[in-house]
Amino acid sequence: MTGPPRGTAARTEQRLRAVGLVALAAVALAIPFFFGSFRVGQFTQAIALAVAVLGLNLLVGYSGQISLGHGAFFALGSYVSAILIVRADVPYLLTLPIAGAACFAAGLLFGLPALRLRGLYLALVTLGLAIATPQLIKRFDGLTGGTQGLSVPRPAAPAWSGLADDQFLYLLTLAGAVVMFALAVGLVRGSVGRALIVVRDNEIAAKTMGVNLATVKTRAFAVSSMYAGVGGALYMLPIGFVAPESFPLALSFGFLAAIVVGGLATIGGAVFGALFIEFVPVYASDVDEALAGVIYGTVLIAFMYALPDGVMGLARRLWARRPAAAPPSREQDAAEDGDADGLSRGGARSEDVVQGIPGGSSR
Amino acid sequence: MERVVQVIVDGWATGSLYGALALAVVLIYRSTGIVNFAQGEMAMFSTFGAWALLEAGLPLALALLGTLVLSFLGGMLIERVIVRPVEGGEVLTVVIVTLGLFILINSGAGWIWGFGNRSFPSVFGDGTLAVAGVSVAVESLGIVAVLIAIVALLFVVSQRTRLGLAMRAVAMNPDSSRLVGISVGRTLMVGWGIAAVVGAVAGALIAPRLFLDVNFMGGVLIYSFAAATLGGFDSPLGAVIGGWIIGIAENLAGTYVDFIGADLKILVPLGVILVVLLFRPTGLFGSAGVARA
Amino acid sequence: MSLLEVQDLEAGYGPVTVLRDVSFAVEEGRIETILGPNGAGKTTTLRALSGMVRRRGRMVFDGHDLTRAPPDRVARLGIAHVPEGRGTFTEFTVEENLRVGAYPRRDRQVGADVTRWLRRFPALAERRRQRAGSLSGGEQQMLAVARALMLRPRLILLDEPSLGLAPLVTRELFSILEGIARDEGVTLLVVEQNANLVLRFADHAHVLEAGRVVLSGTAAEIGADDGIRRSYLGD
Repeated sequence: MTGPPRGTAARTEQRLRAVGLVALAAVALAIPFFFGSFRVGQFTQAIALAVAVLGLNLLVGYSGQISLGHGAFFALGSYVSAILIVRADVPYLLTLPIAGAACFAAGLLFGLPALRLRGLYLALVTLGLAIATPQLIKRFDGLTGGTQGLSVPRPAAPAWSGLADDQFLYLLTLAGAVVMFALAVGLVRGSVGRALIVVRDNEIAAKTMGVNLATVKTRAFAVSSMYAGVGGALYMLPIGFVAPESFPLALSFGFLAAIVVGGLATIGGAVFGALFIEFVPVYASDVDEALAGVIYGTVLIAFMYALPDGVMGLARRLWARRPAAAPPSREQDAAEDGDADGLSRGGARSEDVVQGIPGGSSR
Repeated sequence: MERVVQVIVDGWATGSLYGALALAVVLIYRSTGIVNFAQGEMAMFSTFGAWALLEAGLPLALALLGTLVLSFLGGMLIERVIVRPVEGGEVLTVVIVTLGLFILINSGAGWIWGFGNRSFPSVFGDGTLAVAGVSVAVESLGIVAVLIAIVALLFVVSQRTRLGLAMRAVAMNPDSSRLVGISVGRTLMVGWGIAAVVGAVAGALIAPRLFLDVNFMGGVLIYSFAAATLGGFDSPLGAVIGGWIIGIAENLAGTYVDFIGADLKILVPLGVILVVLLFRPTGLFGSAGVARA
Repeated sequence: MSLLEVQDLEAGYGPVTVLRDVSFAVEEGRIETILGPNGAGKTTTLRALSGMVRRRGRMVFDGHDLTRAPPDRVARLGIAHVPEGRGTFTEFTVEENLRVGAYPRRDRQVGADVTRWLRRFPALAERRRQRAGSLSGGEQQMLAVARALMLRPRLILLDEPSLGLAPLVTRELFSILEGIARDEGVTLLVVEQNANLVLRFADHAHVLEAGRVVLSGTAAEIGADDGIRRSYLGD
């Protein structure tokens, strides 16, 4: 395991990362002023998705528990927020932390029985959760509006800002996402992050180090669900409408795809993953409605061959190859495989990255 | 009394359908440790293929035969081209690939045949048969018979043929298999081909009961996962028996218990999965290595 | 021409190179052994022959080039490999283990061979239908050898056959191996840590150190060499 890089190389890397972040911020801030309102709405949704994707990455990439049901918590967040706005007149900003808290609790509740399940079985149960979601929404139609869904008034831009509604909403969502991302960085770099990684890579070692597996894993579920909930609440605002159809199984699949495309156990990857699942289907259906899914599926599979480490993995590998670097020794390669945030992912661990689907890995 | 028998026989047939797809899933899981989330969609595609052959004028028997052959080839192709590159890699990568395959095949079918629904003829027809004084549908009996025949056939292949020996060896110890001269890759290809054929049979038997559309195998997949979980994910016999239990129990409950409405029916297989995993993760017939809870 | 000729073999795992420049030859009908310290690359050599690791160089077996042959082709060419740890198919019965050893064969004498080897190894005959994983270490080793013989191979590679076995069992195993090699005319290439033991039964030896063959000769020559005696024979 390696800490943050030291020396001049380190300072250059840190400086470059700072520059990168500033550039990203500049681009992000410029978007609402360069695109029409429809596109801006899509970007807003992408940001909301990124928050949710980040949550899933915390669960899968960092703590090694596989979940195919992230969409369920996403839906929960959307609906909590929508119901509070529509039925209780709660100001939309306030609904965000409430949705987050509700999903945190739900994740905690779900995380407890999930402790007993591994790999394949956790995947199946969470798959079940995702499938059951639209039905459960319809079942509680008194609250949720059932199949009709709920119309949620869109937040209006305050007069003093001089912004259009969609621009305001975009910037608001962006601000919320920045907060969530910063929180994640803090979690991952601190002792929580280290505990997660140890648990993911080697449970037995974790136990001997005194890490309480149950606590870490259920908390990972809770935190990941919280992120999904906040993402869901943010996602719903630009559309102004929620219905059971908004949360199909494909959404949970999409989140999973997003974390792998972006890069497991990375924070930056969430952005790429979210952009992928927001825009690839759009462009795919620009080509041909019916072909859209074919293109999406193919791109997904191709990504797994070409870039199993995700976009962030590619970025890291390119960075390691830069001409200024000394020819890498084996240790240096391993060090540079370490996560951009300073935590090692341990390279290609076929057995342990996710608590393996039993018998599945070493073929 | 007659009603109960009919309900049970029908449930047995439905359960056989779940079991058939579950069998395909378990076959692949046993030999490669991979859960093929796209198994249902592959079966759907095969069924559409059969429908296309029928539309082209082939008699039912030939259309089905042709479909089985094409499904076998298709299954082999998928293993060789799509799954092989990621086999043995990170678990999550493989999951994503099968999910990607799910999306690809589902949309592919939609692109080729559209998203509307159509009907598919039943191999067994609409007749009924009197068994011990009770009138039961021929189709139900036929479905159960087909499944039993498949299980028997697979058993013979597995236990008494060179191919079966190779497949069991590969599932047990791929490295030693290579050392004794077995081509692991080719054996896995055949395994996927066989699973695809079983899935195609399942699809052809299920389609007459529902409408044939690109999503018709989606719900069945969950039931099949429940059947496989109940039976033990690495036990082909377990998959079948698990399917039977779920099919019969569901039909009895649906007929005699009012509480589960149509829209919540999907919770039944989910409930089964949850209960099994919490109380007996290896299922009825699975081996101990399977769940490690 | 030698049955097996290896020249300038380079092999390893991923980025790690274990064998740097290995050259040796194995003559037909002989019992030859590869000796050397831990980590020298003895097991890697056998794995390279079987196509289980990445390799470069020249390996010719009975006129066939092995360099690009995958493991199943190597077996079909007539090389049986008994891996370290035996590689038993634990869930198969003893009999099934034997049958699977004959997988590449298309002739009709597989059944006869099963009977023959069971007769040769009575302990296995007793446990014919038993789950192979329940056999003792020594019995599994016999099973692994019998499985290799089922191939009707020309060359058997044995990786540390004495590993985990009591001295008495090991001696018995080696005497059986010697007998079979002579009777069947099978060539044996044995990798062993236990130099004392193996030099007593092998005809020829090659000493591997740090990924290179440093010495080749008859067992007597090697056994008499002072350097070898000091390093490996405890003198």
